[in-house]
Amino acid sequence: MSETSLETTEGRVTSLDELGPVDYIVVEFPAGASNFTGEMAQELVRLVEAGTIRLIDVLILIKNVDGSVEAMELSEVEELGELQALEAQLAELLAEEDVAHLAAAMDPGSTAGVLIWENLWAAPFASAARRSGGQLIANGRIPIQAIIASIEADEAHENEGG
Amino acid sequence: MPLGPGRVGRVGVIGHPVAKTAVVAKAVTPGSAPVAKTAVVAAAVTPGRPGRRRRI
Repeated sequence: MSETSLETTEGRVTSLDELGPVDYIVVEFPAGASNFTGEMAQELVRLVEAGTIRLIDVLILIKNVDGSVEAMELSEVEELGELQALEAQLAELLAEEDVAHLAAAMDPGSTAGVLIWENLWAAPFASAARRSGGQLIANGRIPIQAIIASIEADEAHENEGG
Repeated sequence: MPLGPGRVGRVGVIGHPVAKTAVVAKAVTPGSAPVAKTAVVAAAVTPGRPGRRRRI
């Protein structure tokens, strides 16, 4: 068991043995293609309120056409709307050097939102697995495109055979 | 637009430049590479300084 612990902004100390898997995404909005209606914020708040995830960090990245990158804290956004409630609970997990690493995936001229969250739904199972002696040795996400390709290959095989 | 002071001078958590995921509308064939084993970490799990309590 690890003795390292994490302290939330509210002062709650969480043992690493109780921490659920932490994921991140970078959602890019190409220049002129964003259409913010508040729907994304609504869905995010719903996930947090349902106890499915705990939002840990949010950054907004802007990659200029010359390749330079600007980062904006959520607190700098003028109209947060429903995100206002979540902003107070965020922590600064991402470091300055992460900004460049994350922005490497962006196209010049685009804006991106970076989200870091803990999968609260998975925490009890992960904790039980660790107590049982299990060790995470691989994880990942299967792209929808790969699933489509697999199904299409099956169908093509069946058509050839039938 | 400066970053929060807590982000400066710390060890990052991403670790390497992120490659862009393919944004495609149609199916792509997945690679056939075998799955690599994730590092099983016992002590310094957090990317920061070992033993240091981090605020998240």
